[in-house]
Amino acid sequence: MWLPIHINEQSAEPLYYQIEVQLRALIVSGQLEEGTLLPSIRELAQLLKCSVITVRRVYQDLENEGLLRTKQGTGTYVARIEQNAMDRFRLDSVIEGIESAIDAGKLVQCTKEELMKLFQEILERKYRG
Amino acid sequence: MTDHAISLTDVELRRQHFQLGPIHLKVPRGYVTAIVGPNGSGKSSTFRLILDLLKPDNGDIMLLGESIASEEDWQTKGKVGYLPEMFSQHDDKVKASFKTDFVKKWYPNWDVNRYQELLRLFEVDDGIKLGRMSKGMRRKYELALVLSHHPELLLLDEPSSGLDPLAWRTMIDVLHRYMEPGDRTILMASHIIEEVKRLADYIVFMIHGRVLGVYEKDELFGSWHAFYMQGDRKIAETMPGQCGIEQAGGGMLRVITRQAPEAEAWCEKEAITISHRQALQLDDILAVLVEQERTRLRS
Repeated sequence: MWLPIHINEQSAEPLYYQIEVQLRALIVSGQLEEGTLLPSIRELAQLLKCSVITVRRVYQDLENEGLLRTKQGTGTYVARIEQNAMDRFRLDSVIEGIESAIDAGKLVQCTKEELMKLFQEILERKYRG
Repeated sequence: MTDHAISLTDVELRRQHFQLGPIHLKVPRGYVTAIVGPNGSGKSSTFRLILDLLKPDNGDIMLLGESIASEEDWQTKGKVGYLPEMFSQHDDKVKASFKTDFVKKWYPNWDVNRYQELLRLFEVDDGIKLGRMSKGMRRKYELALVLSHHPELLLLDEPSSGLDPLAWRTMIDVLHRYMEPGDRTILMASHIIEEVKRLADYIVFMIHGRVLGVYEKDELFGSWHAFYMQGDRKIAETMPGQCGIEQAGGGMLRVITRQAPEAEAWCEKEAITISHRQALQLDDILAVLVEQERTRLRS
């Protein structure tokens, strides 16, 4: 099974965190439906070229949050998620994205005003028509 | 049951021109551990010690929970698959199938279907004489042979040497599937960076006969970064985990750290802007460690 998770090796964010944010987003956005069987730990590690230690940590964290459940011997599944949990997590990956965009701006010494203007422009362009 | 597939304690091997160890190494069960190091750093000797093909001058070696010095170790070895870096020439004259018939007698768990499946997967004909096989073909045949008795532990010495890119991909996939049950272990030595990245969970650096530590792979790559920043060399020297500074042009310094998260917090505190950061590759990290080890030997 393929999952649209992208790793940025150059990022300051730890790998497990990058994977966790994206997998959480896939679940709470409903792209991975309740009951979906996720890849085994070894399979996902192979797919993302990371260690099984990292994947185990991600599955463990998301299970503790109630997003995944593990059935002994059969694998890890997407759990049933309450609506309010969905709302709580829905914006997390968006916040993540905006933060990294602002970091990119700060790197080239953008002012707040410049960034705000850029944000408005891109927003208009994306939502046009 | 221990949670280490292999453990070496105080292991030393003394030769006229080389000393290996003292080595302390614990290989965790259920994971892929890759030994990385320059030529002649003692990787292959370590494999031979683990298999009791070489006797250490000192120290203890435990293999799958048993001491390898004990008398009845053949049952333990039946659970191990070993792929040496080079093959002896004395079986060059025989057909591969002849060698298979000989080898399988030693393994009660020999699985003929598994063997046939692997030959098919690797596109190997075992009716050919071993001496007439290409290097890659021979490698693939030997790999099929060591996997066909369902070993608990695989020792792979430069597994991909001689393989073409497609065969290499097949091998990586076969090894991932081998690990799927979760209780199996691979210890491998490799020069191929991509191979280590794709397979390993833990990385062991071995330089000049010394083990420089066992690292979880993702933590290792997350810690070794190069920061590009403006500033004073004197100040940069005090960065946490600093392992080297060079001029990067335009008044910019390239500072290598092995503690990236701490170094980043430090930069923030010192009001230093990080213009760019770069995760170090395995060979870059190895180069720094080799250089440090040379300095240590000189002093």
